[in-house]
Amino acid sequence: MVGFGDYRVEMALLCVWQYAFGCLVPARGRGVPVLGLEAVVTTVEPDGEQPFSGLDDAPVEATVLRMMLGGQLRRLREAAGITPDQAGFEIRASRSKISRLETGRVGLKSRDVKDLLALYGVTDERLLAKFLSLVRQSNTPDWWTKYSDILPGWFEAYLGFESAASTIRSFEIQFVPGLFQTEDYARAVTRLGRKAAPAGEIEERVRLRLSRQALHTRPAPPRIWSVMDEAVLRRGVGGAAVMRAQLQHLIESAAMPHVTLQVVPFSRGGHAAESGSFTVLRFEENDLPDVVYLEQLTGAIYLDQRPDVEQYLEVVDQVSGEALTPDATTDFIEQVASET
Amino acid sequence: MSGTEFDTSVAHQARMYDYLLGGKDNYAADRAAIDAQLEIYPGLAFAALANRAFLGRAVRYLTAEAGMRQFLDIGTGIPTAGNTHQVAQEIAPQTRVVYVDYDPVVLAHARALLVSHEAGATDYIDADLRDTGRILAEAGELLDFSEPAAVTLVAILHAIPDSDDPYGIVARLMDAVPSGSYLAISHMGTGLIDRDTRRGLEAHSGRMMQQRLTARSREQVARFFDGMDLVPPGVVRVEEWRREPGADGGGGSALWGAVGRKR
Repeated sequence: MVGFGDYRVEMALLCVWQYAFGCLVPARGRGVPVLGLEAVVTTVEPDGEQPFSGLDDAPVEATVLRMMLGGQLRRLREAAGITPDQAGFEIRASRSKISRLETGRVGLKSRDVKDLLALYGVTDERLLAKFLSLVRQSNTPDWWTKYSDILPGWFEAYLGFESAASTIRSFEIQFVPGLFQTEDYARAVTRLGRKAAPAGEIEERVRLRLSRQALHTRPAPPRIWSVMDEAVLRRGVGGAAVMRAQLQHLIESAAMPHVTLQVVPFSRGGHAAESGSFTVLRFEENDLPDVVYLEQLTGAIYLDQRPDVEQYLEVVDQVSGEALTPDATTDFIEQVASET
Repeated sequence: MSGTEFDTSVAHQARMYDYLLGGKDNYAADRAAIDAQLEIYPGLAFAALANRAFLGRAVRYLTAEAGMRQFLDIGTGIPTAGNTHQVAQEIAPQTRVVYVDYDPVVLAHARALLVSHEAGATDYIDADLRDTGRILAEAGELLDFSEPAAVTLVAILHAIPDSDDPYGIVARLMDAVPSGSYLAISHMGTGLIDRDTRRGLEAHSGRMMQQRLTARSREQVARFFDGMDLVPPGVVRVEEWRREPGADGGGGSALWGAVGRKR
C-alpha cells in the first residue's frame, strides 16, 4: 500500500501539478526536498481563486497531461507492487490497455482511474479529487476528433504526440513526410492504398493531413528534422507535374526556421536504415520519454522503452550524419526537380 | 569522414556532457559512465553547468568587450541552448563561427542544426583537435586569419594526454592567428578536488570512455597561454571567472578557466 506520506509519490504528483498549473506554483515550492501534500494544495489554490484558473494562462496540451498522468499511474502501480495484469483485471481491461493508458496513448476514463487509484491504495480525498480533475482536463476534445470516423485509434494517438512534441525527427524511405506534402501529392498517396474508397473519404483524409500542417504556423512550432532517402524525391507519385510542385514545396519548407531537411543521396550507400521509415517524437518535459512511431498497413507500433528508442536514435543520428547538409539538400532537390 | 567510428556502446565526452546538462541525446553507455563518475565525484553535475556558463560568459566577453567577430570553437559538443554562435551573434550578428568536433553524434546534430538558418555564418568541421593542419585549412574557408579570431578550447584539452603534445597543438593554433587574437580554455584541474577523487576520475575514463582524461595544475594550464596576456582574473575555477553579481558560485568545480590575448 502506498500512503501519501510517501515522498516519491508526492514529488511525482508535484511534477504533474507544477506542469498543469504552470506559473501558479510560486518559486518557493521548488527546490524543497520534501514537500507535504498540504503545501502543494495550498500553493495551487490561493484563497478565493478557482482551482484551475491558471490554466487559461498556460494551456496544457491534453496529450502531455495524459502522458504525465499515465506515467504517474505507472509509478503508483509499481510502488504498490501490482502487475499490469492485475491492474487490467481491476478495470476489466487487458494488460496492453494498461500499457496504453500508462503511456498516454489513450484517453483516461474517470471511472477506470478511480478504480486503479483505489487498487493502488490511494485514499486521500483531496488528492483523488485533484487527480480526477486533471483526468477531465486531459480529455478535452482535440482538433482531429471531427475526423474520428476515418481515423483509426492508433493514428489518433500519433496526432496527439505530434502536436505535443517539441522535436519531430523522422527518416523516410518512400514518401514525403506528411507535414510537408502538397495537397495533390497527399491525394495521390492517399489514393494508392484505397482504390475502392469513395471520393468523399479520400478528400476527408487529405483535409486531415493538411490540417496537421497547421503546426508550421502556430506560435512556437516544434523543431522538425526530416531525413529522406533520395528515393522519396525520385518516386513519381501522382505524375511529373505533381512531383515538381511537391519538390518545390520541399525547397520552400526547408527555408522555414524550425525545419531541417536532409537527403541521403543514392551515392552515399550503406546508410543505416534497414529499419524502414520511422519517426522519433521528443517532448520538452524532462521526465517524458522519447517515443518512436512505426507505421504499418493496419496499425502502428509505439516504442518508448529507452533501449528500443536508442536503437532508432542511433540510426537517425547516423543517417543524419551521412546525409547532405541542409544547404546541399536544397541544391540537390532543385537538381532532382529539374530532372523531373 | 575523419572522425571516430559511430559507436554508441562506449561513452563519449560530448554525449556524457549532454546527459549532465539534462539533454536527451545520449546513450546507455554515456549515462552509465556519468553515473559511475558521479559516485566518485558528486560535484560533476555542478561542474558541467559551471563549464557551460563559463563558455557563455567568455564568448560574451570576447564579443562585446574584446570585439571578436570570428570564433574557432573546438570541442563543440551536442548543440544545446546558448551555443557559441547564438551568444556571439546576439551581440554581433555578423560574427562567424567555425565549430570542430569529432563525435559522429555531434556531427549529425551540428551539421543539421548549427549550420543552417543563422544570420551570421557558421560552419562545422569533423576533425580531431590533434589534426590542427586540417582544422586550420578548412576553417580558413570561412574565417579570415589575417584578422583577429577567438579560439575556444572548452573542456577538451584534458582529453589530450601529454604524449599527444597538447602544448604543441595550442601553439600551432595560436600561431595561425594574428596579434590581438584570443584563447579561451577550461580544463580539468589538479588542486581543485582531492587527489583520490581526481585519480578515480582519470582511472575511470581509461576504462569506460573514448577519451582518457588528464588533469593539469594551474601552472600547467597557465602554460597554454605562454606569450599571451591573461585577462583578469587569470586562471581560476570556471565559476569564478568574471562571475556575474548575484550568480551562484559556491560549487567548487574541478575545472580551471582562463582567457588570454595574444601579444
